[in-house]
Order: sequence, then structure tokens, then C-alpha cells
Amino acid sequence: MQDDLEALEDRIARLRRSVRAAMRRRDSARVKELRAELRRVERAWDELADALERDERQQPSAPEPARPPGPLVPAREHVHQVLTLLGVPAAPKLIGAVHRAFFPGELPASRLASLRRDEERSFRSSPGARPYYLCPALTSDLLAPARGLVTVSSWPLEHRIIGPLSPRVDFLRAAVAVADAAQRGLHETPDTERLLRSFAVSIPGATPRGTGPIDPGLLTRAAEAEIAVHLDADRQARAAAADRARRRLDETERLFGTKLRAIPGKTAQG
Amino acid sequence: MDSLNTRLAALRGGTSPVGFSARTIAGLNENPGCARRALLDASGADKDRIGARVGFPGRFGQSPFALARGRVFEEQIKANGAAQLLRLLREKLGLTIEEAAYLPLEDVGDNTGRELRARHTTAQLLRAAREGDDAGTLFDHPMLRLRVAGCTAYLEPDLVAFQVGGRFHVVEIKSFAVIDGQVDGEQVTAAARQAAVYVLALRELLADHGLDPETVSHEVLLVTPADFTNRPVVSLIDVRKQLAAVRRVLARMSRVETLLDALPEGVSFDLAPDDDGDPTRDPAELAAALHQIPARYRPGCRAHCELAAFCRDEARCADSLDVFGPAVGGMLGGVDTVCAALGLAEGTRAPAEDEAEIARALRHAETLRSGLG
Ligand code: SF4
Repeated sequence: MQDDLEALEDRIARLRRSVRAAMRRRDSARVKELRAELRRVERAWDELADALERDERQQPSAPEPARPPGPLVPAREHVHQVLTLLGVPAAPKLIGAVHRAFFPGELPASRLASLRRDEERSFRSSPGARPYYLCPALTSDLLAPARGLVTVSSWPLEHRIIGPLSPRVDFLRAAVAVADAAQRGLHETPDTERLLRSFAVSIPGATPRGTGPIDPGLLTRAAEAEIAVHLDADRQARAAAADRARRRLDETERLFGTKLRAIPGKTAQG
Repeated sequence: MDSLNTRLAALRGGTSPVGFSARTIAGLNENPGCARRALLDASGADKDRIGARVGFPGRFGQSPFALARGRVFEEQIKANGAAQLLRLLREKLGLTIEEAAYLPLEDVGDNTGRELRARHTTAQLLRAAREGDDAGTLFDHPMLRLRVAGCTAYLEPDLVAFQVGGRFHVVEIKSFAVIDGQVDGEQVTAAARQAAVYVLALRELLADHGLDPETVSHEVLLVTPADFTNRPVVSLIDVRKQLAAVRRVLARMSRVETLLDALPEGVSFDLAPDDDGDPTRDPAELAAALHQIPARYRPGCRAHCELAAFCRDEARCADSLDVFGPAVGGMLGGVDTVCAALGLAEGTRAPAEDEAEIARALRHAETLRSGLG
């Protein structure tokens, strides 16, 4: 949604430029038409901004000690905490949801987007200066950055690579991790139940009969049962890709992925 | 073929081409007899901006708000390896637990070039088709190709094509609500038409590589939110009818060469954009170029063609009965202008031989009307 807001802002800026250009040309018909369009886009921006604000307000804050203001803990550390809890590559949406469910403090979605670029820049300027870096997961076929999945540099390469079955396996592993955190009673918030449920409804046999709350033990068992089905195939794909990465990529590429050169044999023509 | 492309590019002029999308291909069907639309679309001209330039800006396309809503819903369905979609497919279509592979195809490495993506998609889908169940189940944002009027159209099912029960299915994710199991018929029809274009492109891909095109099911899966919640439901839609229609229209499009031949020398829809991308082409000249190509305006145009306002105005000025839609046109068979129809009704115009019957009916209607007034 944030992206859409930005796209609309771009559009508004472009329309304003065009209005000015048309005014210079004294093309009043065009000015009228452009301004009508401008108003329409501005209205859409308002609606979207309202919707975003509503979403944000709906996220209930933790009941006990008031959340410490964001800047005290840098966003990267929040993300690191969440990823350590999950133990698998995760998309910003999931990172945000887990954070709300188990940790105090705010983790603004907008910070997540800029984080990855900052991390790579920081690594390139002084490699290894930080104890860990947040880096993208790598795709198993091209060893390129996988869209929108964040990992921690200190994890084994196999865990940072995404094969065809890995999105499913990692989702199930995340379910186990979240159920485990809930069972440990880790700083539960009203969002915890919602998070558990969002996992449970998509895993066969993970929701209890009737309307009761989600049973973390049942969720764990159901998730593990499905993990067992995919595990071998997933492990093989990841291990093979990790081997390739170790042979072919330098250290920076192993963390941040290769930039695509060519797919051998497939890009010969146009 | 190349000379055809050159001629079409000349028609479009310096403006960058608007590619065909499944929506525009499906839209071609709406008014197949219209040469104006066929030529503009085949040349990749931007009908929306052309309409605006000649003084008829359209209110066309979805609102940015609806688009944003659609994207949010799609993201939700596809999040976490498309967990929500998998559940639907398992529960409703008996997809086995083993089949859970998810391949994002919206980029190849960091590269989002359409041709490269199309090749990548082809390789992945062929592997799945040849190797069976293990080689991938959910293909997110594949990039397909389809020949339209001698040009390559790139089609991106903003949705997922996947393999279930050994067949490929096109999945359309739409954010319009299914209320009490009922969906708005028009929206479903539109979705079915688009999906049919994807089915066709997928089938051609398989056929081109010596595989059975029927591996692609004619049943499309439509995923929509239930009632007013965000809970997704899936419905199966049979798109055989739409497929046949798309095939027909594509065959017709291949005759675009004939349409080009009929054009007077020097006709162009160039918007002559300046550095800001604003058109500088003289509107009157552009309008004149449009008038050179015969159109077939009908009220339905308003729902599917960006030039509707322009063509409607033209039809009105030309006094054409087309503005009243095909029903009226058909009723007055042979009489094609408003003037002629009124003349016959009022008896000021002598009917031609084949107009005698219509003239009698019109005069009768006129008597009734004046009796009322
Ligand atoms: S609006 Fe005009 S160009 Fe478009 S289909 Fe109708 S008649 Fe043809």
C-alpha cells in the first residue's frame, strides 16, 4: 500500500508539471482536462492514505508498559530479533506481524524497505564490520536476491537459499517457531492469537474443532507433519544450490546475491 | 511480417507503443467490425491519450483505489508461498500435500525484461509439463507470449498458473466480492474473457513445443473475497465459449494488413510528444486522421473503448443511427441515418423499394406519437 501511495505521488507530481506546461502553452482545454485528472488522483491518494491510517490505528498497542519510542532500538535490531525467533527467511509483512505479536516497540514498515539497501552499502564499504547483516534470501536457480525475503548473514547458506519447496517449508517452520514462542509465553499481546490463527488456518489439521482458541501444541504437530513430507526434496535443492554458490560466488555475492549476467544458453538471441 | 510491423509503427509515430494486454485482446471482441479500433490497437497507439488530445478525455480504466485494493488482496493470497491459495486448492480441488512448490516468475534475478521473463517462464512451465508433479505447482506471475496481428503480445496473468491433477489451470485473483455466493455477472464475464486469453497463450506455448495443448484446462479458477471480508473463496469457470471468441478475433486481427492497404497515404496517430511527454500534435489534424478510418460506434463502446466519446460524437454528427445501438439499427434495417428515418416517418421522403415496409411502420408510429401529443 505504501508503494501505491508513492506511485500516486509520482503521478500527482507528473500531472502538476504537465498542467504547468499546458498553462505555458495557453492550451486551456488541456489544462482543464489535466486538472480534472489531477483532482481524481489526489482523491485516490486521500482515500488510500485514510485506509492506511485506519490500518495502523487498528493495531492495538501492548497493554502493559507503554512501548518505548522506536528510535531507542534501531530497526535492524528489531528485524534481527524477529528473524532469530523465526529462524527462516521472512517477508517484511510477516516480520511486522511477528514483531507486533511478541515484541514491544514500533517497527514502521517504511523502515524495512530502506534497510536492505543500507545493509549492502554498509557491507561493501567495510566488509565484516558488523556482527551480522540483514541480507536477501537467494534463489536456488540463479543465486540472485529473492524478492522481499530477508535473512541474517550469520545463518548457514543452506538456510538462506530458497528452492521451489522452501516457501512452504519455511512457512511451516515459522509456524512451529511462533507456536513455540507462544507456549513460552514470550511477551504475548492481543496480536499473538491472531498470528497463530493466520498460520493454523493454512495448515491441514492445525485448527481445533469448534471455535476455541488456537492450540500451539496442535499447530506444531500439524506443521511438523507437513514439513516431513517436503523435507528431503527441499533439503536437496537447497544443498545443491549452496554448493554451487560456494564454488562460484565471492563473499559479497554469497550474502547479497548475484546480479544477473545471463542464463547460459537461454539468452542468446534478443 | 517486418514490413507489416514497420507500417504499423509508422501509423503510431514517435509515441512509444502500448502493448496488448489480456484485457485489450479480450476487448477486441466487443466490437469486432470496427476497423478504427483494430488498427489503433494493432499499431500500439495509446487510445486513451489520443482521445484526450482530440478533446474527448475518457474516464477509463479502474480507479487507482480499486487497483490498490486488488493488489493488496493478491498479495494476501500469495503471501508465504501462497499459503492461502494452497489451502483453497487442497480443500476444494484435492491438491495433494506433496504439491506445494512455489516459483515466483516476476523477475529473473534482478532483471524484469519481458522477453527474458517469457523465456524463463517457458523453461519452467515446459519442465513442469514434461517432468510431472514434482517440477513446480504454483507459478507466480508467469510471462506468456501470444502472436496478435503479427506482433508479440506479452501477457502476464497477474495471477498464478499451476498444475493440479496433471493439468495446468489459470488462476485469476480478483478483489470484487462474492456476496452470498453471487458474483456480479459482468465482472465475472470480464475475468473469464481475460482468463481465456491466458489459456490460449499457455496452450500455444505447449503446442509450440510438441506437447498436448489440452493439458491446459478450459476451467479457470477465480479467487475472490467472500462477502465483505478478506477471506478468499475459489470458483471454477468454464471459459470454452470465451476461448472460441478470442480465437475468432485473433484470426480477424491477422487481416490487419488489408485494413492498412485501404488507408490513404500519410495517415498517422503520432502524438508528437515533447520532452515532458506531452503531446504537441495538432488536435484537428489528429482528429482528421481518425476520421479517415471507418468506425462502428455502438453504445457498448463506452464500456470497453477509450475512444468512445470521440466516436459517439462522430456518429451523432454523421447523423448515424448507430448511436442508438444495434437493436434500433436492426429494427430500421437498411435505413441508416436519423434524417432518413424521420423523413420516412413524416412522409417527407419517398421510400425506396426496399424501404417500403419500414416506411409504413415508421409512419404508423408517427401517427401514434402525434396522437399522444
Ligand atoms: S469507440 Fe470507436 S474506435 Fe472504439 S470500438 Fe467503438 S467505434 Fe471503434
